[in-house]
Amino acid sequence: MIEPGGNEQPEAPPAKAQLALGLAQLQRAGGLVTPVITTLLAFAIGGVVVLAAGHDPLATYRAIFDGAGLNWFFPWVTGADRANAALNLQQTLIITTPLILTGLAVAFAFRCGMFNIGGQGQYMVGAIMSVWIGSSFAGMTGWLHILLTVVLAMLAGAAWAGIAGFLKATTGAHEVITTIMLNWIAYWGGSYLFGLGGPLQSDVRKFVPISSDVADGAKLPVFWGDPQLQGLHVGLFIAVAALVVFWVILSRTTLGYQVRAVGYNPEAARYGGISVARNYVVAMAISGTFAGLAGALDILGWQFRLSVGAVQVSQVGFIGIAVALLGRNTAVGTFFAALLFGALYTGTSTRSLDPSVFRPDLAGSLAQIIQGLVVLFVGADVLVLYVWNVRRKLRRGRVTPAPRPATGAGP
Amino acid sequence: MRLIRPLSVVLVLVLALAAAGCGGGGGDKKSATSTQGVGPLRVGLVTDTGQLNDRGFNQLAYQGLLRAEKILGVKGRVLESPSPADYVPNLSTLARQGYDLVVAVGFDQAAAVAKAAAAFPNTRFAIIDVSQGDLQDKPKNVRGLVFREQEAGYLAGYAAALQIKSTPGPHVISTVGGEKQPPVDRYIAGYQAGAKAADPTIRLLNGYSQDWVDQAKCKELALSQIAAGSQVVFAVAGGCGLGVLDAAKEKKVWAVGVDADQGYLGRQVLTSALKKVDQAVFLTIQDVKDGTFVGGADSVFGLDKDGVGLGAFSKISKPSLPRVVAKVRRQIISGVIKNLPTTVS
Repeated sequence: MIEPGGNEQPEAPPAKAQLALGLAQLQRAGGLVTPVITTLLAFAIGGVVVLAAGHDPLATYRAIFDGAGLNWFFPWVTGADRANAALNLQQTLIITTPLILTGLAVAFAFRCGMFNIGGQGQYMVGAIMSVWIGSSFAGMTGWLHILLTVVLAMLAGAAWAGIAGFLKATTGAHEVITTIMLNWIAYWGGSYLFGLGGPLQSDVRKFVPISSDVADGAKLPVFWGDPQLQGLHVGLFIAVAALVVFWVILSRTTLGYQVRAVGYNPEAARYGGISVARNYVVAMAISGTFAGLAGALDILGWQFRLSVGAVQVSQVGFIGIAVALLGRNTAVGTFFAALLFGALYTGTSTRSLDPSVFRPDLAGSLAQIIQGLVVLFVGADVLVLYVWNVRRKLRRGRVTPAPRPATGAGP
Repeated sequence: MRLIRPLSVVLVLVLALAAAGCGGGGGDKKSATSTQGVGPLRVGLVTDTGQLNDRGFNQLAYQGLLRAEKILGVKGRVLESPSPADYVPNLSTLARQGYDLVVAVGFDQAAAVAKAAAAFPNTRFAIIDVSQGDLQDKPKNVRGLVFREQEAGYLAGYAAALQIKSTPGPHVISTVGGEKQPPVDRYIAGYQAGAKAADPTIRLLNGYSQDWVDQAKCKELALSQIAAGSQVVFAVAGGCGLGVLDAAKEKKVWAVGVDADQGYLGRQVLTSALKKVDQAVFLTIQDVKDGTFVGGADSVFGLDKDGVGLGAFSKISKPSLPRVVAKVRRQIISGVIKNLPTTVS
């Protein structure tokens, strides 16, 4: 992908055009370079924080790496360490699964020129729907029950996001505002439904604000690890399949072409005969489908129930925004970004870090610092591109790249 | 699922073999069942998603663990659970590492404790504020840590009635519950019984806010009770109950706090009915150390074990209250006062 240094450029195009050309090339190269630099930079600054707290950053990062189970991929890790790594990696991938999907939910809307902050709410209505359907129909055939639950959860997510898309298409209400509002409706809706006396509160556990459990038949099979102790469920494959679907829709269908056209320039798309309003609704609905699926996989895969507390502490949809930003709204990027955030979550959990090496309450804060820095730097990738550009110019020997002719100086 | 289970059993076996063969990474080679083994007793604590500094059960449980570290010389480890996804891994990690006791906080972890206890039958578990009998399959290696709230309520009611006994006019006290559920009603029933014992002519009011969070709802209910003559309002409604303490301050009547000592919220707080989660954790750890820990049942913490009690009295309350209440407390412990009611009609 990386263009070979602009060798084929003609010697003397106007300075402005050359800059634009160079920037375009860089941006393409930056598709890979900036997220990597961004991440490394975030880790480096995180390391400084660790150092300031009086710890060895390398040992800490090593512990986070091992705690996330990523050392499982090293063939020389054997015996008890390997078994332990497997357990950790299962947990990392359990967290990664919904992050892939909520990341896609944000990314898809982005490709249509919309900022879907509502991944959390769409995830939550999907999860609520899954608890409801999953804990009803106890006698239903397992795979049918799973299918029904997953499909309805996806529809719930689609409808939830579709509201924001519909409002934007018809009234111009900005999706950032409406999706945030919808998040809160899902948050308090869930708190009401599972709260004491709520319609979905458990009949068995009458005195605590928690839902009934999902029927055994509706639980997703576990393919790695102990099914009784939260092993890795097959939802991971569904999430990976969703990545493919995301790519196919965007790159290989008319719908995807239209969505991207609207994303690039709605006016041009309208001029070209594409219904912008319709694409806003459809793109948001597809976004919500991904997020709703994430909720279903969590509930049927490992969670099996929701409590008011669980509704209120959930952050999956919000982390999805960071995942999409870091993954630059592509399928492959989203996968790796989700894996990074999943690994960061598991790796910095208090059970992974030896309390004698790193105080547990600091460990969790470190994860948040790194996450925050990643998001911050992703926003600042233009800066990275700029530095990259200047560096290249310096290397080419043009120390004063733009003499800034007098044309632009006069008032 | 059926196909995968044998695979996972094999995995667990391999894991167990590996753990036994290599002695684990930590160097602690002692088996999960031994109590008088080498090295200090190791106790793990798993918080719920409320996290460690919640000014509630997690924090109290942590204080109990810290006290056990200091007094009993045990080695403690706290695992926080930012998400429910951490419950099972946290509990099973501690069990796998051979901790002598794993304490879980709160009902949110009930299902996770049941699973971990089934998978690690040789590890001792304790769960705070959940009855062992309510867990799935009633595991034999779990102890539920529950409380006799009615005893703390009784003392609070007794103190409340004494405080207002010498005032003119009819004597009325009241209670604001979050919802009508057993722990709440145990507090309230005890409070009413204690008040009646101190002053048989006292009138009792009771209401439920149907909310645990919204202070306005509890405040409204408390204000209406105060308007009906209530001079001491007992808040049994979590965060919502803070509205009761607020109403009492506004109307210059007394209030009684709940669970933790809420005296810092003002002089109108006559006293607080305490649920001493820290004491429950400490005593459970001591049981393990003494070899008297038994799973498969509940530990019920009352006044006798200092598992419930009263907080400090307000500076402007009657000076005789502590002395009288201490006497009643001894009578409950010795069984002179018994069969406290646990339900509200």
